[in-house]
Amino acid sequence: MIRFILRRLGASLLLLYLVLSAVFFLVHLAPGTPEGLLVGDRRLPPEQQERLRRVYGLDRPLAVQYARWMTATLQGDWGTSFSLQVPVTQAIAGVLPATLLLAAAGLLAEQAMGLALGIAAARRPGSKVDHGIRVVSLLLSSQPIFWLGLVAMLLFTVVWPVLPAGHMRSVGWEDMPPGAQALDLLAHLILPGLILGLSTCGPLARYVRGSLLDVLGQEHIRASRARGLSERRVLWVHALRSSLGPMLQILASSASILLGGAVVAEVVFSWPGLGRLTFNAILGRDYPLILGTTAFSAVMILICTLAADILHALADPRVRERARGA
Amino acid sequence: MLARPARSAVLPALVLAVLSFTALSLTGCRGNEDKSGEATPTPTATAEKKPQRGGTAVVSWIAAPTGVNELIVPNTAITTEVVRQLFLRLVSEQPDFEEHPPTMAPQLAESFEFSPDHRILTFHLRKDVVWSDGVPVTADDVRFTWQAHTHPDVAWNSAYMKEKIKDVEVVDPHTVRFHFSEAYAKQILDVAEGGILPKHAWGKIPFPEWRENADWFLENLVVDGPFTVASWKPQEEVVLVRNERYYRKDRPYLDKVVIRSVPDAANQINQLVSGETDFLPQAQPGDMQRITADPRLRLIDYWFRTYVGVIWNLREPMFSDPEVRRALTLAIDRQTIVDTVFPAGTGRVGVSPIVQGVWAFDRTLKPLPYDPAEARRLLESRGWKDMNGDGVLDKDGKPFSFVLLSNAGNQQRIDGAVMIQDQLKKVGIRVEPRVVEFNSMISQATEGTFDALVFGFAIDTSLDMTAQFGSHATQEGNFGAYNSPEFDRLMLEAMAKPDIQDAKPILDRIQQLIHRDQPLTFLWESKRLSGANRRLHDVKPTVLFSLFNLEDWWVEQPAR
Repeated sequence: MIRFILRRLGASLLLLYLVLSAVFFLVHLAPGTPEGLLVGDRRLPPEQQERLRRVYGLDRPLAVQYARWMTATLQGDWGTSFSLQVPVTQAIAGVLPATLLLAAAGLLAEQAMGLALGIAAARRPGSKVDHGIRVVSLLLSSQPIFWLGLVAMLLFTVVWPVLPAGHMRSVGWEDMPPGAQALDLLAHLILPGLILGLSTCGPLARYVRGSLLDVLGQEHIRASRARGLSERRVLWVHALRSSLGPMLQILASSASILLGGAVVAEVVFSWPGLGRLTFNAILGRDYPLILGTTAFSAVMILICTLAADILHALADPRVRERARGA
Repeated sequence: MLARPARSAVLPALVLAVLSFTALSLTGCRGNEDKSGEATPTPTATAEKKPQRGGTAVVSWIAAPTGVNELIVPNTAITTEVVRQLFLRLVSEQPDFEEHPPTMAPQLAESFEFSPDHRILTFHLRKDVVWSDGVPVTADDVRFTWQAHTHPDVAWNSAYMKEKIKDVEVVDPHTVRFHFSEAYAKQILDVAEGGILPKHAWGKIPFPEWRENADWFLENLVVDGPFTVASWKPQEEVVLVRNERYYRKDRPYLDKVVIRSVPDAANQINQLVSGETDFLPQAQPGDMQRITADPRLRLIDYWFRTYVGVIWNLREPMFSDPEVRRALTLAIDRQTIVDTVFPAGTGRVGVSPIVQGVWAFDRTLKPLPYDPAEARRLLESRGWKDMNGDGVLDKDGKPFSFVLLSNAGNQQRIDGAVMIQDQLKKVGIRVEPRVVEFNSMISQATEGTFDALVFGFAIDTSLDMTAQFGSHATQEGNFGAYNSPEFDRLMLEAMAKPDIQDAKPILDRIQQLIHRDQPLTFLWESKRLSGANRRLHDVKPTVLFSLFNLEDWWVEQPAR
């Protein structure tokens, strides 16, 4: 098992290196430069522009910039954001809680809806309910998040104004009592969390349905039924428990998908998180910040995937065997 | 120059990304436009009520302010707006430029006068202005600010505006003299640019270390403007509160102004409609209906000092002939385009780089008519004929065919480009409209590797059009490489007049020259649309600043 984990870890690190290098070169090759942001006015005397470029290390050949950046990144120095003028690590740390909160809400919504839809569908396979759920989950997962978000926003903030139309907190949040603060936060979290969950719960529902049907057809379930247990008990206690194991992996891997969806949701809902930070960084060609947020997201996703792999291996010895044999 | 945000109207030419939210977040075209207050629909309702003190207003902006020290942070529009609430300027430019050059209202200076040779400008400072820590604002602060503005290591984006100021002399604590190397048209504008900074507080850090300590300035903030910063959440919201030591004792009326960053245009309008935002400085034309239909909201519209046109790349042989460019303009039905992309009279056909609401506009100029027959005749006289019968004109075996760029996120320009494709097809010209990301378009524009592009410019108070048409300004805005020694000479001549009003005949000749040469086809000028909740009173955004008179705003029920 240790060997398996080490192998996986090695592969992840290699992948991380490749991702970071690819992003570095892609970002620098993209049309447009951060000089507009830095130098701003092209009528600055050339020597002054040059000085600014030197300050930010943009005067060096790309290969040198790459080597310096890689070394610094490995040492934990992610540079200073051009646009925010603060260390990239500080910028990321500042928005991380907001993103984690949103991702957690999205995950919760996804799991709750995915499970509910999956179970409902598995109870009567082939029925109208099953077909209906299949269509709905297909529809949901094929809608772009921004579109779902805008529709939901229109419905719940304008037509039926019960929820706030964006941001993480109301104006004057600091002056509220703690209880009201928590409620306010929750109210702001509902729409983006729900939308994130809605857009990703489809595949999960399909997975739950399939895995449940699989288990329901197995010997021990038949035995339970034969013992005269109620259908409800068979489904909720025996079948669900045996199909939950693999669900952990799904949980781990959907965390990474949610992270991606959060970028869009954060922009649509003015949520002050990592996604919005990345979005603005890309628009402004803020190289250090783009690289920093991408590196950070890549690490997060790799950790999630690694966790999923390990969980999978723990649950299924065949995976370990295959890894050893390979 | 390109991605440079609107600085207080002293900028010669500003690349405009109006209505393009993507571009806006980085270039941040500030501002608003003429006729500011008058356009407010219900003056009677507000005129009867007396301003009340207290309350909070929420303003939403597409981008977030970048910092309190505008000398070292990217100077986006909202940053300039916020900084303007913190630091007084010597004089404040007024938006009354329709009949004459704008007046400069006293702010930190109560009066100013030029020496007879116009090379020394003396300011007499108010004696009742103090910093928020109680220290008086003096001439030393003015000199310190000039030193910061011009220090090479501070590397302020707008430092070029100060390059003809040779010295700032402290005569006494309340008198300060600006010495210029020469007399020229925008002396007062150059001086007025940038708020006066606190020497006793910010002088503690040597200039060469300013750029490494962007955070420090917020922690050590001392202000003399109407507001100060209560909290600053980067990318999220900035809360301004009343500066209790502001010299106008009865201002500001509001206790608090919350500026929230809302990156998505659809979310912006939703927040205005749902009441979470009180003021939306820049609404999309498509949002107009939702604002006017809502009894709780007020639409404020005003002509902006911007124009959009098609820049022809004069390096391409097909665009190098002025007669051909004239034919292109004649073949484009600009009125129909304007009527289509700007509903309810929010746009008009453009004709000159000095837009129609500005005093210096040459009122004898009329847009070229839409005349495809004349266009075809002109093209034929210049050798463009359909030789091979494929419906496309050719000359020397080459078809008249080009790519027309516009930037993603700006629907008006994208729609305009498609209409141009259709209209030019009727005279035998093949156009391929292509939408690219803003940064990418700028790259192609500055490298000169494009055929034609739909682009916007702002004309500012100085009326200096060098950046748009000057022979050497191909990196700044003259992307099509228009090369006219006559323009260069006239522009220099106009800018050298100590009083810009004396340059009016020259400015007229420049406009006629551009009209004759058609280096770009003027498409439209448009209005800026703002939306405000009716509980908010005396909101008068101007072409200079959306939050121009923030200290005069008041709310009826200080409930929030």
